[in-house]
Amino acid sequence: MSETQVLLESVLQAIVAGLFIGAIYGLMCVGLAMIFGIMRVINFAQGDFMMLGMYAAYFAFVGFGAQLFGTAAGSFVAALAAAPAMFAFGWAMHRLLIRRVTGTQSAGMEAEGHYAQLILTLGIALVLQNGAMILFGAHMVSIRTPLSSAAWFVGPFGDGMALFLNKARIVAAAVSVAVILALWLMIRRTGLGKSLRAAADNPEASVYMGIDVDRAHRTAFGLGTAITALAGGLLAANYPFHPFVGLEYVIIMYAGVVLGGIGSVLGAFWGGMTIGLVQQLSALVLPTQLQNATIFVFFLLIVILRPQGFFGRNVERV
Amino acid sequence: MLEIRNFVAGYSQVAVLHEVSLTVEAGQFVSVVGPNGAGKSTLFKGISGTVAPMGGEIRFLGEDLLKVPPSRRAHLGIAHVPEGRQVFASLSVLENLEMGARTPEGRRTWSRNLEQIFAWLPVLAQRRDQPAGTLSGGEQQMVAIGRGLASAPKLLMLDEPSMGLAPAVADFVFDKLMEIRRDTGLTLLLVEQRVAEALQFADRGYVLETGRVVLEGPCERLRADDRVRQAYLGM
Repeated sequence: MSETQVLLESVLQAIVAGLFIGAIYGLMCVGLAMIFGIMRVINFAQGDFMMLGMYAAYFAFVGFGAQLFGTAAGSFVAALAAAPAMFAFGWAMHRLLIRRVTGTQSAGMEAEGHYAQLILTLGIALVLQNGAMILFGAHMVSIRTPLSSAAWFVGPFGDGMALFLNKARIVAAAVSVAVILALWLMIRRTGLGKSLRAAADNPEASVYMGIDVDRAHRTAFGLGTAITALAGGLLAANYPFHPFVGLEYVIIMYAGVVLGGIGSVLGAFWGGMTIGLVQQLSALVLPTQLQNATIFVFFLLIVILRPQGFFGRNVERV
Repeated sequence: MLEIRNFVAGYSQVAVLHEVSLTVEAGQFVSVVGPNGAGKSTLFKGISGTVAPMGGEIRFLGEDLLKVPPSRRAHLGIAHVPEGRQVFASLSVLENLEMGARTPEGRRTWSRNLEQIFAWLPVLAQRRDQPAGTLSGGEQQMVAIGRGLASAPKLLMLDEPSMGLAPAVADFVFDKLMEIRRDTGLTLLLVEQRVAEALQFADRGYVLETGRVVLEGPCERLRADDRVRQAYLGM
């Protein structure tokens, strides 16, 4: 193989890896988009919801997933099983805490309750991180499945070039895309989805339509929590995690949502996908420690060139 | 149909409405007029439940409305077309109308209703798939009215449908409302600052000033009242 072919091979390899990891990042971002993009709740604890999703998937895997479904399929079943539990968690969080600083409750608050949201969710994040450390310990945990270290080889093609595709990531990316499509259809087509969008657009007018806005927000918050947690559970098959892992991902999530355009669920997916690609491609030329820095340089460029994001709504909020 | 007695309401413990009483009989068209800040919108929000009540009572078809959660009130047959239109900007025109039709009666009569709404307001049919936020002010007002009608209401409450519209457009909106009322005999409660029009077609009128009803009665009597003529009709 010539030198250019070696380069080409690594670029292709990075693109493939970026697409797979990007799909999972996309799912993660879509979860935040439901909460931040659509409901305008600033949630600092989103990364920690994801961390909880990882632990929930881990315990589901160890508890029953591995025995019932085998170590290969078990990890994905565990991640999917953790999602409803995390929906309930997010639903309860909103019921007990978040609703006091959002929606119609926050109408009279300073900056529509955004300051209160910052402080409340930062507090939740700290409690979750330290609570997890007490309960689960500070050591790294991982969900090891045979697929984590198995790969399909594509090739050789060209002049001896070959790509390897990690099996765990392929399945995780496929699950991510399927979940996003289902969610997108739900939001666009069903009565529930439309009333969620209406409640996000104009809470007051939604009341006049007979929509229980508080309940709609609670449902959206639960969905957003469950989706990000599911992404966490899928990621856990490839990445070891610990109670503070949320901090690494919450920034990626916000960047993805803003890149895609605030308020657009599909945009958030492409935002996450973009970040996955940039991250993997930058690893070709830069040391891994600079991966996040590259993401943010790229992020700034996009925000300067296209402030509304890829799919940003240009519609004036009336 | 709607009976309000000594109703007190306001924001963060400061009363805006003081002991307001108002009655709307089935089939009537009632107008509430008054200057800015008189509490007209607060009265509507009190009926719909987006402002906290501080006293008095509201009955709708005999039911104690203040005991009904705000999001259930639309289901009883009250449609509120709010001040400033407040359409769902990112939803299409059709989806806005669908949101109106979430009430049991609205669901039941949806397809017939939609046809009727498009007949009254053909511009909505032309723009059915366009996001409502991209429409002009007058068109958005049509969306808001259509959305209210889609719930197949027993009482339609309109909060300043002419607000922010050019005079010709406001006239057009008003004509449409009168056409709809002629066709259906729908019970209307209207808040308006265009006092002349509001009192011209209505059966009864109320003049609201600084949160109190200062004058009420059949519209012909209000139109003849010296205070109304001087303060609102510029005569």
